[in-house]
Amino acid sequence: MNTNTRKKKRVDQIVRSIFLASTLLSASFIIIIVIFIVMKGITPFITDNDGLGVVNIWTFLTGTVWLQGTAFQSNLYAVGFIIVNTLYIAFLSLLLSLPVGVLTALFIAKIAPKRLAEFLRTIVELLASIPSIVYGLFGSGIILTFVYNLAELFGVQSKGGNSVLATVLVLALMTLPTITAVSEVAIRSVRKDIEEGSLALGATRTQTNFKVVLASAKSGIFAAAILGIGRSLGEATAVSLVAGNAKSGPNLGLFDITTTLTSTMLQGLKETTGVDYDIRFSVGIVLMIVILLTNFILNAVKKRVGNVNVK
Amino acid sequence: MSNKRKAIDIAYQAITYLASSVSLLALSMIVYFVWSNGSGLLNMDLLTKDYHAKYYNGEMVEVGDYSTTLRPSDLDDDIYYSEQYGIGLSDAKDREGNPIILVEYIASDSPMLKLADRNSEDIIALEEGMLISKVAFFDKATALRTFGAEYMVNELDSATDFREIVFTSLGGGIRGSIITTLYLIGMTMAMALPIGVFTAIYLNEFAKKNRITSTLRTLIDTLTGVPSIIYGLMGLAVFVPLTISVTPATSGNLISGSLTLAVILLPVIIKSTEESLKVVPDGLRQASLALGANETQTTFKVVLPSSIPGILTASLLGIGRVIGESAALIFAIGTAVKDDISIFGKSTSLAVHIWSMMTDEPANIELSSTIAIIILMIVLVLNITVKLLSKKFMKPMQ
Repeated sequence: MNTNTRKKKRVDQIVRSIFLASTLLSASFIIIIVIFIVMKGITPFITDNDGLGVVNIWTFLTGTVWLQGTAFQSNLYAVGFIIVNTLYIAFLSLLLSLPVGVLTALFIAKIAPKRLAEFLRTIVELLASIPSIVYGLFGSGIILTFVYNLAELFGVQSKGGNSVLATVLVLALMTLPTITAVSEVAIRSVRKDIEEGSLALGATRTQTNFKVVLASAKSGIFAAAILGIGRSLGEATAVSLVAGNAKSGPNLGLFDITTTLTSTMLQGLKETTGVDYDIRFSVGIVLMIVILLTNFILNAVKKRVGNVNVK
Repeated sequence: MSNKRKAIDIAYQAITYLASSVSLLALSMIVYFVWSNGSGLLNMDLLTKDYHAKYYNGEMVEVGDYSTTLRPSDLDDDIYYSEQYGIGLSDAKDREGNPIILVEYIASDSPMLKLADRNSEDIIALEEGMLISKVAFFDKATALRTFGAEYMVNELDSATDFREIVFTSLGGGIRGSIITTLYLIGMTMAMALPIGVFTAIYLNEFAKKNRITSTLRTLIDTLTGVPSIIYGLMGLAVFVPLTISVTPATSGNLISGSLTLAVILLPVIIKSTEESLKVVPDGLRQASLALGANETQTTFKVVLPSSIPGILTASLLGIGRVIGESAALIFAIGTAVKDDISIFGKSTSLAVHIWSMMTDEPANIELSSTIAIIILMIVLVLNITVKLLSKKFMKPMQ
């Protein structure tokens, strides 16, 4: 080997190790996230919080009032009702966005003329690219007014429209494009021969679309629902603008004000030390666990629902 | 086909039409909403002005140096004109409905253009578009803004001098947030692009197919599912203390914000770059190696240039994400809207500026919508560019 080749080899080695270092760095962030949030988040449960006393983990997870007493003078935090609220809102919003999203996907993939399908696909892409803060702004400008008027129609005085219903509507709008896009891919990947078999047996196009295509795309549609739920659970800023920030609960009435794990974390962040600060990280841990568990359970359900010949 | 079957089919189809119209309706309502609320404020001034109103406290430099300009004939009837001082004032209401006095016109020889600042040695000028909150006199009661423009003009014209005039610049501009957003985009990209591209190259070109590699991949993929508020918590717990200890910063700052955003962008950049690396045919690599190039040369001169469209797409998507991100930045920087921007200090990106105003009492929907229009326009342009790019470049190579 001459010196030139050796030099080249050396450069190769250096460059390769830079690449490897970048990769290790990229991969380490998820570990950093978990370690730091857990470290901060368990502080309220294992230290005496500057004399306030340990936060009881059981009451924290099951309680129905966010904070009894004043901030920084009490250790009586609880997120039990907020967990219920968060899941309740996420599933209600899915109840709206899933049917609409799947039907839109079916329309784009199978029913609409090509031009119209392309146009709608662009619309869905645009909706997906709108940042959540704009949905939040739209929510507090339009949806709050709508909900307020609706509540009045039912003879209920809502707090300026801030409510479960408003939150559900905003989240449904936000998850609609994700669900539509993923469902469309699932519907389009349904094998042609299944469809043709149904048509050959005398079913109409529409019957085939609804009974055969949708059934065959079940697993993909389920995946879309899981993605949608994930986005609902983790969405923060838009929700915080329409939820109304309830201090106790659970809030199950459609016109009641509510709060979610994320909107609670965003509330009144002022100090950077003390239990009122650390507790946000605890809520963060709860949020991550809720998301992981929901994903896990839904994926298990998805497996049981089964695959019908979907690629 | 029976008629009944036909009717049912049509009903089913109608439902899908109805469902599809929801997306269209939603998009048009969002666009209509932000446009109808925000377009009124959309002009160049907004982009270049400060957000916070500045207060001025002035007095006459030289008593007797009055304006000689007569009332201009094109001045509207609802503008009250002070001949002695050469200013035209009108009544208006601010967002909360309080009365304000607006400076509509200033004559070129108005003494108000050269006022002595009572708080410093500077010479300050009243400008058109500013608000006068009060004029205090030596020998009579102060003319407050609540008494109206007509009263103030009459009082001014019947006095030879005044003790002080308090006026404010209107504020409400978003220059600071625009600069912050640009800083964030630049710094985030400078950090995320190299690391992301290098990671993608390593995973696609060098990594062996074994358990360690697939673990690394899983770890990186997991980042995609993390909600942005969790990234924000990480920024608050990791990057804020880190930047405070190594830079002059004393709180959340633009560097800690960019670091947080960089982590958010990493999986996007890695994915997109890898996609485009995958379509580079192996023949190219082998040809380059066979011609005597080493791995480094092959990677940087042969493989990487062919993946430029993918990296470009990733960058554009990344810029869109930086512009739209709010939850993570609320934690990693803070929500204080600033006019003087330093990378070691707090300030808000456009998206956080909206959040900050919407959580204020009362919420400023007009300015929020204006910023939303700007964000939507940028996001739209980015999206169209990405679409065109992928149409042009993302064909598999021959």
